[in-house]
Amino acid sequence: MARHAPWALVVLLSGAFVLFGADFDMTYVIPRRLLRLGAMLVGGVCVAWSAITFQTLTGNRLLTPAVMGYEALYLLLQALLVLLLGSAGVVLLGAQGNVLLAASVMFGYSWVLHRWLLREGQHNLYFLLLVGLVLTLLLGSLTQFVQLKISPGEFSLLQGVSQTSFNRVQGAQLLVSALLVGALALLNRNQLNTLDVLALGRDQARSLGVDYPRVLRQQLALIAALVAISTSLLGPTAFMGVLVANLAYRLATSYRHRLTLALGSALAIVVFLIAQLLVEHLFNYKTTVGLLINLLCGGYFLVLLTRQRSHR
Amino acid sequence: MISVHDLHKHYGQRTVLDGISLSFPERRLTSLIGPNGAGKSTLLLMIGRLLEASAGEVRLAGQPIQRIASNAYARRVATLRQATELNLRLRVEELVEFGRFPYCGGRLHADDHRAVDQAIAFLGLDSLRQRYVDELSGGQRQMALLGMTIAQETDYLLLDEPLNNLDMRHAVQIMRALRRLCDERGCTVLLVVHDINFAASYSDHIVALKAGRVHCAGSVAEVVTETRLRALYELDFAISYSARGPLCNYFNPPRDLS
Repeated sequence: MARHAPWALVVLLSGAFVLFGADFDMTYVIPRRLLRLGAMLVGGVCVAWSAITFQTLTGNRLLTPAVMGYEALYLLLQALLVLLLGSAGVVLLGAQGNVLLAASVMFGYSWVLHRWLLREGQHNLYFLLLVGLVLTLLLGSLTQFVQLKISPGEFSLLQGVSQTSFNRVQGAQLLVSALLVGALALLNRNQLNTLDVLALGRDQARSLGVDYPRVLRQQLALIAALVAISTSLLGPTAFMGVLVANLAYRLATSYRHRLTLALGSALAIVVFLIAQLLVEHLFNYKTTVGLLINLLCGGYFLVLLTRQRSHR
Repeated sequence: MISVHDLHKHYGQRTVLDGISLSFPERRLTSLIGPNGAGKSTLLLMIGRLLEASAGEVRLAGQPIQRIASNAYARRVATLRQATELNLRLRVEELVEFGRFPYCGGRLHADDHRAVDQAIAFLGLDSLRQRYVDELSGGQRQMALLGMTIAQETDYLLLDEPLNNLDMRHAVQIMRALRRLCDERGCTVLLVVHDINFAASYSDHIVALKAGRVHCAGSVAEVVTETRLRALYELDFAISYSARGPLCNYFNPPRDLS
């Protein structure tokens, strides 16, 4: 029952989101909303998938790509692009070029992380969290430093990129992203059982014949692609991955990734839909989706942190 | 047969294993003993391919183990690490099914189900089969993990301190199961164990390590002597013999420790 409820909610909320107060306006309102809905669907899948996989790889339930600095890196890249190319140059690069560039930078970051995770010994959770925090802060201040160097027009362009929003998505970009995510899901189908074994811990998985270094390489590359897609589609999502992953574990009552990934995706989409509905119809655009999501998910992250501590 | 050849392990400046050469008798139960930091677990994990050697090599039937694919190795050698933390919502049956991963990649066939059933029956875990692992006692959980290792149906089993934190009854259950694996199924069992009396009561062969080197190795009668144990642990031992085997008493030595 608990497994299907989130999907039922997705359908219900999607219907409400597309139709509420639209007067069946097929020329403008509904197509625009469908576009935003598409961004939420694809983005939600990316956020949940990358977060859950990352947690399985690192063997703990607090780390996500966002916490480990992937999104901060994306923002720094955007700031540098604006600084070096100017706003005209960024427009010239286009959404597709931007995604490709972002993806390649994240592949690089994934590669560094993978070297580091493979080193023997030190895998203290709080140490990793601290590294993520410091990296995020460092990249964040670098981004601010760059922001001070650019013109107000360019600054507002950058401001737009650095917030969660479903409004900037374009049809072609959405289509390419959806196809990419679909292809990745197909390619990754056979790896789900391996991820299940990895949940036993990396040593136990290795003694069950999992080639851990290879799986780590593949999955971190996958995560880089997913984060690049989701951040370019809807901006950084910060703590959202932690929330949906942990809620998914709780509701799934099973360790199988087949279930937790599906549930997590549904939950992410539900969170997006609720936030967007609230922004559009309750707050009348006086607040942002990112603000609402961060409030909710950041709070939950704190709860998780304190709970983990009291368990020790 | 598993053999190690001039095996070294360094962490920076610190040497953990300092040139170990050994072979482990087939179809026998071998205990690795020695004080803390002697390198017992390091040696065992290297044989299980969970750690890389700094120099030297481990061979399985004469073949260097690095040349064997991970999956193929997992069908011949199973390793159980100590204190696996499992905060997974997992039933005992599902845990044991993981033991079949090297064969079926997670999609169990009839043969795999047979192996799982056998492993569960072998350890008498039927009553726990549907229980969640995180609701079990430490001893029951260790039995379930051993069940997974048995379902792997390998000729070689490596266990790193399987008795850690267990009460006496569960410790005896585990050791008896290992003994039976050896006697009834012809498995070769290697384990790291701290309790010298368990090692003396259940082993065929004992390897004593001290400061990264082999202190002595041989049958129980050869290794478990007052002189050798005193030199190994720097403790005063009194060994008494009864129909149930040797008993090493080191608990309350008459003199101060030197």
